Amino acid sequence: MKLEDFREKQIAGAASDEELHEALEREFQVIGRRLRRTDGLAKSSGRAIFTDDISLPGMLHAKILRSPHPHARILGIDVSKALELDGVHAIVTGSDVPETYGILPWARDEYALCIDKVRYVGDGVAAVAAVDEESANEALDLIEVEYEVLPYFLDAEEALAHPEMPIHEPKKPDANGNISKHVRLEFGEVDKLLEDSEVIAEAEYYFEGTTHTAIEPHCAIGWFDTSGKLTVWSTTQVPHYLHRELARVLDLDVAKVRVIQPPIGGAFGGKSEPFDLEFCVAKLAMITGRPVKILYTREEVFYAHRGRHPMLMRYRTGADKNGRIQAVDASTILDGGGYESFGLVTTYYSGQLITAPYTMESYRFDSTRVYTNKPCSGPKRGHGSVQPRFAIEVQLDRLAEALDIDPIELRRRNLLGSDTRTVNEFLVRSNGFLECLGAVEHASDWKDKYRQLPYGRGVGVAGSCYISGTNYPIYPNEMPQSAVQLQVDRSGRVAVFCGASEIGQGSDSMLAYIVSEELGVPLDYVRILAADTDFTPVDLGAYSSRITLMCGNACIDAAGKIKKLVKQAVADGWDCKPKQVALAGGWAFDVKDTGRKMPISEAFNLAEAKFGTLGATGSYNTPKDIHGDYRGGTIGSSPAYSFTAHVAEVEVDRDTGFVDVRKIWIGHDCGRALNPVLVEGQMEGSAYMGFAEAVMEQHIFKETGLHNAPSLLDYKIPTSLDTPELESLIVESVDPEGPYGAKEAGEGPLHPSIPAIANAIYDAVGVRIDRLPFTPPRVWMALQLRADREKAGALAPWKRESGRTPLPAAGD
Amino acid sequence: MASLDRPGELLIEAIRLTVNGDTHDLGVPSHYTLLEALRYVLGLTGPKQGCDKGDCGACTVLLDGVPTLSCILPVQEAIGKEVTTIEGLAAPDAPHALQDAFDLTGGAQCGFCTSGILMSAAALLAANRSPTRLEIREALAGNLCRCTGYTKIYEAIELAAAALREERMPAELKGS
Amino acid sequence: MLRLHPYVYHRPRRLDEALELLKEHSGDVLPIAGGTDLVPNMKHGLFAPGHLVALKGIDELHGIEERDGELAIGAAESLTAVASHPLVNDHFPALAHAASLVAHPMIRNQGTLGGNICLDTRCTYYNQTHFWRRALGYCLKKDGDVCHVVAGGTKCVAAHSADTPPILMALDAAVDIASADGERSIKLSDFFTADGMWNKRLERHELVTRVRIPLPSPKLHATYTKVRERKSVDFPLLSIALAVELDDSGVMDSISLIVAALGAKPRVIGGLDKIAVGKKPTDDIVEAVARQTYRQCNPLDNIIVEIEWRRAMVPVYVRRSFNAILAEPRATA
Repeated sequence: MKLEDFREKQIAGAASDEELHEALEREFQVIGRRLRRTDGLAKSSGRAIFTDDISLPGMLHAKILRSPHPHARILGIDVSKALELDGVHAIVTGSDVPETYGILPWARDEYALCIDKVRYVGDGVAAVAAVDEESANEALDLIEVEYEVLPYFLDAEEALAHPEMPIHEPKKPDANGNISKHVRLEFGEVDKLLEDSEVIAEAEYYFEGTTHTAIEPHCAIGWFDTSGKLTVWSTTQVPHYLHRELARVLDLDVAKVRVIQPPIGGAFGGKSEPFDLEFCVAKLAMITGRPVKILYTREEVFYAHRGRHPMLMRYRTGADKNGRIQAVDASTILDGGGYESFGLVTTYYSGQLITAPYTMESYRFDSTRVYTNKPCSGPKRGHGSVQPRFAIEVQLDRLAEALDIDPIELRRRNLLGSDTRTVNEFLVRSNGFLECLGAVEHASDWKDKYRQLPYGRGVGVAGSCYISGTNYPIYPNEMPQSAVQLQVDRSGRVAVFCGASEIGQGSDSMLAYIVSEELGVPLDYVRILAADTDFTPVDLGAYSSRITLMCGNACIDAAGKIKKLVKQAVADGWDCKPKQVALAGGWAFDVKDTGRKMPISEAFNLAEAKFGTLGATGSYNTPKDIHGDYRGGTIGSSPAYSFTAHVAEVEVDRDTGFVDVRKIWIGHDCGRALNPVLVEGQMEGSAYMGFAEAVMEQHIFKETGLHNAPSLLDYKIPTSLDTPELESLIVESVDPEGPYGAKEAGEGPLHPSIPAIANAIYDAVGVRIDRLPFTPPRVWMALQLRADREKAGALAPWKRESGRTPLPAAGD
Repeated sequence: MASLDRPGELLIEAIRLTVNGDTHDLGVPSHYTLLEALRYVLGLTGPKQGCDKGDCGACTVLLDGVPTLSCILPVQEAIGKEVTTIEGLAAPDAPHALQDAFDLTGGAQCGFCTSGILMSAAALLAANRSPTRLEIREALAGNLCRCTGYTKIYEAIELAAAALREERMPAELKGS
Repeated sequence: MLRLHPYVYHRPRRLDEALELLKEHSGDVLPIAGGTDLVPNMKHGLFAPGHLVALKGIDELHGIEERDGELAIGAAESLTAVASHPLVNDHFPALAHAASLVAHPMIRNQGTLGGNICLDTRCTYYNQTHFWRRALGYCLKKDGDVCHVVAGGTKCVAAHSADTPPILMALDAAVDIASADGERSIKLSDFFTADGMWNKRLERHELVTRVRIPLPSPKLHATYTKVRERKSVDFPLLSIALAVELDDSGVMDSISLIVAALGAKPRVIGGLDKIAVGKKPTDDIVEAVARQTYRQCNPLDNIIVEIEWRRAMVPVYVRRSFNAILAEPRATA
């Protein structure tokens, strides 16, 4: 059979002449259109295979024994009885894996299983592999651990004050072993400018810890085959870092370790570093020669945590009489929980990431991350900056009120603008914040609502800025942050190999759109193989909203190389210049005469005949001149920054304190929406998650150190009936560094939800709730206190006549 | 009925289950939930385990058409009933309108809650051809989604409802 | 995932078979209807019976019908059925409403009215995994001898957390109870005790088979209000059932007010006859009722929401309950 015979079906499905003609009129053929995902139908038909859906022949099931104490020394572990139990194949304890691990190379402080000490209730101590989960559970009960119970700290300020009882050995002699990191940076003359300010807002904010709560619990499968190769399937969003840590901790040749990341059932930062289960399945597989699976219970997911740090934030913000920000002075204590995790980065982020979208004449932050005997805090969507964003945006609301300036107008007066540097010297290129503000102001009818709605109802505004990837990798190196390899089949099918992690955000689809755009192949001709370290070039993972920008650029780079060869081959045949050849809609065609065309597979065949097998790699690395050169000046710098503004409308029940968030308008500058459906999905999901943190979520602990509510019944995440109406308003500023101008959309739009709701509550009922979450008891108490002050004449009634909700006297 | 001779001893029951139209005669440990039987015995991994105990809805299947939490349903309660999982929602030749609509609107991001949500949505549309937004929200009030903020899910269900009323596929309505 | 312990699952077709099984395996058996509370509790290691006796397949436990001036509802009817049945909605919309507020749609599809009435009491120190409870050192209600809610407490104060009993009590419902030894009936208002360990006057081998509610006079107005953090899924933080009979001139002929989710027993507020009967529900009278209710309600830290607020909400929701009743077209006519 001749090659041409295969092409009939392809020609039937390719673009018509008219469509090609139209295509010439458009800047993009695929980019910017509302398209399906590559994995949408697999997910909606239950066919996507998640990690726990994988079952291997002979697979064992393992469980981890966890500490019942928040802080204790391990004096001895006796596994002999457990080993005798029928069905038990192997048991490992800390001494079997005596190498520390950690996501940051200079702060490795965790063991696969604890050796000397446990530091929170739920810290892993031993792991059992058995024929089934029931037997493994039974064996856990037979392991005897002798503990020396130690005093413990659940409060960061208390831990800070007690260096004599360190949770970790001090990093230097005389240092406080309960301090994980301290950062102090100052830009400009903060004290002087504060003194000169017309008004100063001063307040203390507390952001309660929250956790990711992906619906899929963590799961991993280890398999050590007879050739001496370790394969680990894991619900990780950082397969490359996991690959390296597995090899290092287990003392294996990194070339003989393979990490595969199946589709992930949500991550949000909660799967962005190695966890005990991955080391345990690997070690147990090495010992037993059998595949070993661990699936966390929901309770264990709460212990794995790495969620939002609780932060105590003291802010002083000064402005001149026109509302221009003169000085921001921030002092923050971060509650890190039991280990380091990304703590160093979080500590910097708590200060470095709030210097846009506003100009500020001067800025100082002093952040201290403290260990406590609780599950380790880490990166949750909007890593490190959601908490201070709450503080700064409420500070601006306070300044606006003090100066009697509309809060949107106040933000306009402090615009940072584009192609400029922030006070901490980050280079900001595209900036669509003004358009975001305008979009939410208009869509929400802000001018008719702000201070105009009746008592109990209110609107609030907030803005934010977030990174499109961190400028530097977690371990220092000069290599690309992201890479893509393309392979072209004679059928026209293009395979994309990429280390990037699809975690629901649509990164696989993004790669397919770019290949389809660049090479003119239909979307369903693109196959994605992602996040398998044996076959995919390195991408650093799904964190810090880096994938669209970095992977996207790498993909354009790779596709561009193939495109060039294909156009050259076709042009040679048509005896024209390559730029006269376009690839789109399943064709290679002549831009001057769309009637002259050939199926894209034929064009690929021509190129293959001329240049040899078609394949290309592409990569992306970040520009290095976009940040300050002071110590820490690289942390928080990014190739591009997204911008967001929200308006939230709330109704506060004055008698009960229930806050009903009616609607959130989300204006987000994502540079360019490669697929608006996916961008809106990220905007809505982000705003929802911020709303949830604002009104209900709290990752808190009982006095005993036990988790307050480690279940999806008691840890409250919103249901369909709780979630407000969400309206997405996409702003496209077209960034010079982003692929087709694209920036991030997955984390930025979370930030303003919380302060916008806080400011809306103030507009509704005149109380500032500076402590999260805004639960009914907290709001109700604030309303009672305000009513008392109104009664005493200290405050004028807020948008209504004075009066406290009648409550019978206690002795009545 | 057999009895346990010793506490803790496993008892295997012979159970006939009808799942997605197929009848299976199975030996199942008597303490299994329907979810465990579906995932571990039948290999139907569409229904998911998210919370362990009936709080999240990821394990939702239809039992004689009624949305049911398979993770807290003793497997014996499915005997003599028609079990439908996400794998059984579509006809062999085309996706169910809901599946197509979820794909079009981006109703599934990570996809982990999706199979449960679709079963609740399918039961809703079987009973109500034109649900209001509030009726949709009420029908989904036991299915937690952590990715979408629910908005695209509502759009998908509304699109699917319109398509089913017009006996067309959502893609034809949506024009892509 | 959390796994269950091995057990024998009995599926009798007749009530007498079920009752015999409960008697035969006494001490090592539990009845299971919807299982929506029992199965999670077994996954938490709170119960580990060797035998379960399934009730849903027993015809005698089904049916919703009017007879002898009463509405009779089989204990194994699902909460969805109770919430949507025309007879329930015609006669007792407040009961239908209460049933529709239980947990979430699937729980209501599976859970039964009888199960809701017999729901185990709940406490933040009790409804946890075995690992968690062991780390705590257990509690009075299960495996331990310390109460973590009341320091030094010797009596379990786990909270009655079911939605249908308060309104059923306000509607003067009774339950039929059967065992292998015979049958009996008891008013629901006499059914509950203040003992969080087991807050029911129900022997372990007995079953609630049927709920009977006297058909209401046209004068009866009832309402059920549930306070919870989320609008779905959650158990109540506080719940209030109110039933009043209003004569043609709007004067209250009777009043029944029950507050639940505070302690082990739904609290029937006392002394209201004196305050309210023979009077119109004016603002002053409603306020007096609210004050009387507040005085008798003292929440405990058995639920993880601040007790000061939960107490303060009592009078607020008493007022709202009256508002709901007075807003009904029939009530103001």
